[in-house]
Amino acid sequence: MERRTKVELFLLDNLIWLILAGYFLINALVTPRFFTYNNIINIFYHSTILGMLVLGQGLVLMTGHLDLSIESTLAFAPGIAILLTTKWVLGLNPIIAIILTLLIGALVGLFNGYCITRIGINAFLQTLSMLIILRGLVLYLIPLAIYGLDEAYIFFGRARTFGNIPVAVFLMLGIFVLFDFVLKRTPFGRYLLATGGNARASYISGINTNKSIISAFVLAGLLASVAGLLAAGRQNAVNNTMGDGMVLLSFAGAILGGVSVSGGKGTSIGMLGGTLFLGMISNSLTLLGVNVFIVYALQGLLIFVALVLDRVKVKAEELLFRREMLKKLGISMKQD
Amino acid sequence: MIKLNEEEKESNRENDFIVQFKDVTKIYSGTVALHKINIEVKRGEVHGIIGKNGAGKTTLVGIMSGIIDPTEGEIIIKGKKYRSISRQRAKKEGISIIPQESQVIPDLSVVENIFTPDYIRSWGNFINWKKMYSKIEKVIDESQININPYARAGDLSISEQQLLLVLKACFIDDAQVIIFDEVSSSLTKKDEEVLYRIIREQKKKGKAILFISHSMEEILEICDLVTILRDGKVIAKEECACLDKNKLSYFIVGGEYNYKEHEVGEESGKEEEKESNEIVLSVRNFTKFGAFQNINFDLKKGEVVGLAGLRGSGRTELFKAIAGIDLADKGWIKIGNEEKRFTDPAQALQNGIVYLPEDREKEGLIDILTVRENLTLSSLPRLLNKVRLINLEEEKKLATTLAERLSILTPSIEEELKKLSGGNKQKVLMGKVLSANPIVYLLDEPTKGIDISTKKEILKIIKEELSRFAGIIMSSPGLEDLILICDRILVLYKGEIVGEFFEDKFKEIDLYRAVQGVRDKFVENN
Repeated sequence: MERRTKVELFLLDNLIWLILAGYFLINALVTPRFFTYNNIINIFYHSTILGMLVLGQGLVLMTGHLDLSIESTLAFAPGIAILLTTKWVLGLNPIIAIILTLLIGALVGLFNGYCITRIGINAFLQTLSMLIILRGLVLYLIPLAIYGLDEAYIFFGRARTFGNIPVAVFLMLGIFVLFDFVLKRTPFGRYLLATGGNARASYISGINTNKSIISAFVLAGLLASVAGLLAAGRQNAVNNTMGDGMVLLSFAGAILGGVSVSGGKGTSIGMLGGTLFLGMISNSLTLLGVNVFIVYALQGLLIFVALVLDRVKVKAEELLFRREMLKKLGISMKQD
Repeated sequence: MIKLNEEEKESNRENDFIVQFKDVTKIYSGTVALHKINIEVKRGEVHGIIGKNGAGKTTLVGIMSGIIDPTEGEIIIKGKKYRSISRQRAKKEGISIIPQESQVIPDLSVVENIFTPDYIRSWGNFINWKKMYSKIEKVIDESQININPYARAGDLSISEQQLLLVLKACFIDDAQVIIFDEVSSSLTKKDEEVLYRIIREQKKKGKAILFISHSMEEILEICDLVTILRDGKVIAKEECACLDKNKLSYFIVGGEYNYKEHEVGEESGKEEEKESNEIVLSVRNFTKFGAFQNINFDLKKGEVVGLAGLRGSGRTELFKAIAGIDLADKGWIKIGNEEKRFTDPAQALQNGIVYLPEDREKEGLIDILTVRENLTLSSLPRLLNKVRLINLEEEKKLATTLAERLSILTPSIEEELKKLSGGNKQKVLMGKVLSANPIVYLLDEPTKGIDISTKKEILKIIKEELSRFAGIIMSSPGLEDLILICDRILVLYKGEIVGEFFEDKFKEIDLYRAVQGVRDKFVENN
């Protein structure tokens, strides 16, 4: 293959980072107060919660399923953990609250995964029911919000380290890098993608596909509870509407990041790009004083753009290969 | 003689052509499927198309039936020129296609399948069932096919399903051009005869027939004229009357090919005695109700055992039960001194049994992953380093070695699998099971849908490489491959082993009778 084609293919594969860079440059020039240290930190900070959901959604999408319930898990996991440690059973260590939060998130995912693989419920319907059940429970158990959480519990969502950079940003970057490693270097990651690519063939090849799918749901639940931990920490409260509507954006981020809706394809670093792009858009539009609802509508539009982009990418790839072939053909014809 | 014929035809040429291709080219991402093809389909003529896999047969058929858009060139239908044709246009012009894999809707009845979507309507838009029933009965009478029109289509055998589509194309759609895309590959011998009869009748009615096939015998039997494709180009167009197998295979494969050489097993099989007496797999009283009963056999290390049988004789079901994919109801297998029954393929793999599925697209490969990832999918546990991460270098080495050993044609092992041609995909599948290093290979039609030279390579790999450390059971739709490389052939008929043949007693005719369920001669062989 020619060098030029190779470079073009590489750029296509990392299209989201190209778009991100372009969007960043434009905003740095046009948008007031955008290109400042604090604002850039802010974009990262505000992407952390969504980032966890995007990653969770992406992992599930890779196996060929989807998870609508993550946004409810985001509120449910910290909600129950805090209620348990402060109201129902008094005086438990806040560290236990953190562990409980993660555990509850993982359990929700385990339940989803179990029902989908063992009982054979459609993932859309299974997670839709969980979305409603968990949100309903949260609204009932937490009338408005629980304020005044323990210092240790809000550490990850609130604390800042050197250079005024929030801990949450490092946590997010760390998790994305970790999953990049997991997807590329562990059999587990490979099996996840294989399952999404062709579940039957994977099963026959000796892969425990049910385990792959359940694991993806458990990770999605776990990451949603991490998102809940961060959200609770940032507000210093567990709010009963926390996470409402975010699941749609999680799809947008994952698809923008190059995850295939039909499974089998996706990278963690791509999803990070998708997340940051969503964060940057809402940040720049807010700075420009665009109405909040318009920002919301525009994010919806982005989901659409993401889907179109996915198709365009495939077409562009085909075009590149065709050009390459035509060239080869031209040469071979001359030789004839 | 032939020259005269040519001139005769010359006189009424243009009128008789229904479809003409002019310089049609199709480029896929990664490959040139067709390169400046010229072809004519003519009234009252059976036109054969033959070529290796990846020669462009499927693409050609796709373009003619409006499923695939050509990249360049012209299609002329009854004098009108088109850049490309849509499925609707093709239908309107009376071009009908019978696809390779039967595509009936299993839950609809035979009648519904035949008329979908063009139901006979009356009273505005209401379906007139009465008229449809009487028409179908007339058609079945006329064609002398024994199919119950009220049966559920999914309950028919594969062969009958295929015939159903033949009926639809020939008698209901009233097509002018009928394309048979490797139809006979899923027909039983009896239904094949029916197919030939229908084709001859249709020819007499002045229809144009395009007959695509892998089998040279078939082409020579039924076609008037054959176009040979190789690497997307028309290599030759010949009258079948002046062709024989030798000549035809010469055209198909290219220069150096000799039909006799095709028999790979002969020299390699006798070069050394690899067989030992170590039994690697025993199957006892294996039964799955409705699929196979009381299967008993032993497999020795280094032995290649053929499993012959018609479609639906239980071959695939037996393989899948041994490999733990679909579970058996009774009986057990013995591998490594333990009697057991596997309940999932991962278990079977751990115990050294690997299954190569018949359906490589649905069950074998993951087309969105790279060639490398597909090749190593079943052997990742062996490629881990101390901290249980995939050793990427080792993995790459293994994939490269396999790709070289099987001469897989791909620009790079990092290419997505879907960009490869059918034969190369089959080799990747072969590489995948090979990399698992099992002690028992279950190969379900490893030579399905691949061209002669790839087939030869794959048979050679089975005979020489695979059998070195393992026992092999393989099935094949035809007997030729089995006769070529097997040490022993088991014949399965309606789920039972009805015969066992040893290498020195392979007689195609006896085997053939056993496969068809004729119970007489082979008893003494047992």
